[in-house]
Amino acid sequence: MSRMKFYCDDYRCVDCNGCVVACKEAHEIPVGVNRRRVITINEGIEGKQKSLSVACMHCSDAPCQKVCPTDCFYIRKDGIVLHDKEKCIGCGYCLYACPFGAPQFGHEGIFGVKGVMDKCTFCAGGPDETLSETEFEHYGQNRIAEGKIPMCASMCATKALIAGDAAEVDKIYEYRTAKRGENTSLKPYGWEAYNNGK
Amino acid sequence: MESKTFWECNKAYILTALGLVLVGFVFVKYLMIMDWGYLIQFTLHAMLGDTSGVMSAPTSELQQMMNAAFGPAYNTVAPEIIRASNERQEFIWYVFFAEILIFVLLYIKNGRVNPTITKPNDTVQVFTSFQRAVIWLNIGMISVLVLTGFNITWSLRSEGGDLPRLLREFHELTGLAWIGVWLIFTIIAAKDMKGWRSNSTFRHFLPGSYKPSKRVIWFFYAVMGAGLCFSGAMIITLHPSSLTHADVIQFRRVLLYLHFGASVLIMFFILDFVYASAISVKGYLKGLWTGTYPREYLEQVAPDVLEDLKKVGRA
Repeated sequence: MSRMKFYCDDYRCVDCNGCVVACKEAHEIPVGVNRRRVITINEGIEGKQKSLSVACMHCSDAPCQKVCPTDCFYIRKDGIVLHDKEKCIGCGYCLYACPFGAPQFGHEGIFGVKGVMDKCTFCAGGPDETLSETEFEHYGQNRIAEGKIPMCASMCATKALIAGDAAEVDKIYEYRTAKRGENTSLKPYGWEAYNNGK
Repeated sequence: MESKTFWECNKAYILTALGLVLVGFVFVKYLMIMDWGYLIQFTLHAMLGDTSGVMSAPTSELQQMMNAAFGPAYNTVAPEIIRASNERQEFIWYVFFAEILIFVLLYIKNGRVNPTITKPNDTVQVFTSFQRAVIWLNIGMISVLVLTGFNITWSLRSEGGDLPRLLREFHELTGLAWIGVWLIFTIIAAKDMKGWRSNSTFRHFLPGSYKPSKRVIWFFYAVMGAGLCFSGAMIITLHPSSLTHADVIQFRRVLLYLHFGASVLIMFFILDFVYASAISVKGYLKGLWTGTYPREYLEQVAPDVLEDLKKVGRA
């Protein structure tokens, strides 16, 4: 069975934020919530500036799932980590456990308390009926069910952001790093951030 | 005047410290998976205003990118947060069992003090309306915080949904409101500090020279309450944001851990208060509600309180 993964090539990412805008637009994500964000280091320093597009990495041993007190997370057979917004109580424990800062919380009600969690679904919807209005309202588009790749990766102009079967993505990663004359045994950012410590 | 030994004067403090050291040792040695070296370093950095969690400059581009994108040193604190959350779900029952067992043993050993009242109408006012309002507001808010807090801890049993989510929101809002009540109570707790005994304002807020066993309750209420108020307020204020995530996530993790630890410790002393006020002495709780106690009750159970009230002409 294939296992879905993201890979962002920091040599190609140009901090255009196209992925962020595409994600927000496609899923009608409210202000204050960013399922995907772009991080830039050494900004303005020639030859050293690098950017990275970050979202949920859909961990195989997802710590968010381990820590959730309502057990609202589930992992699909293809490795995509999803959650049930009907169960989520917005405690925020998943945010503390996540190595990548993927869980997002909007403000709700007159007191502005944090609402239920929202995160990248790999454009695979949620537990509601596939391609239904409820699913869109809760989780956004279900592009995987339509046979498409996630919106962020499909919109990436430089093809820095790639999504798909981990084995295939790894091949592209190895090809690119080998072409640059780099060590191909190192994994992409985020692929081993959590597992290294185990 | 009868002179007391160091042990007699400080028994409650020593036993409390020994109990906490024993429990702390077992937890730190055998259960926790926290990187204590990092935590101590982080705390010192945070006290100096650096809450980023980056203890030293990154040595590689990879490390720099990881710090900027995900926040530093994931494996130092986060795994313990996961362990502690699961432990609270599964094993907190045992903590309560042990605590209640201690009180049952105390009850078997000491029984219930039942003062003989022959003149129930000869009463003395001990608590003013303001004091009673603060005390009962505190009791009410703590009850709400405990129940709504357990609602979060044990939501595996409720399976989440709208009501548990509403209760979680209520926990946060009640917690913010409790900060004021906690502050007033902390002043009460401070009133009996030995250095301030001559200060009439503190001395007369609650009369009586409290025994160490009661002072310990107040002390832990004040200190653990401070931990809960600070961590709770900061957790709510530092609302999760994708833009600031890497800068504050480690600080938030440490704050959540502080919240976990302070809530467990304060619970023991809250139960101690419940035992002392509702079970160990008959009639105490009623007086806490009405504000007055029979003079004979005070003569037999709390002569120090009566003595203080006489000094200020209230008895």
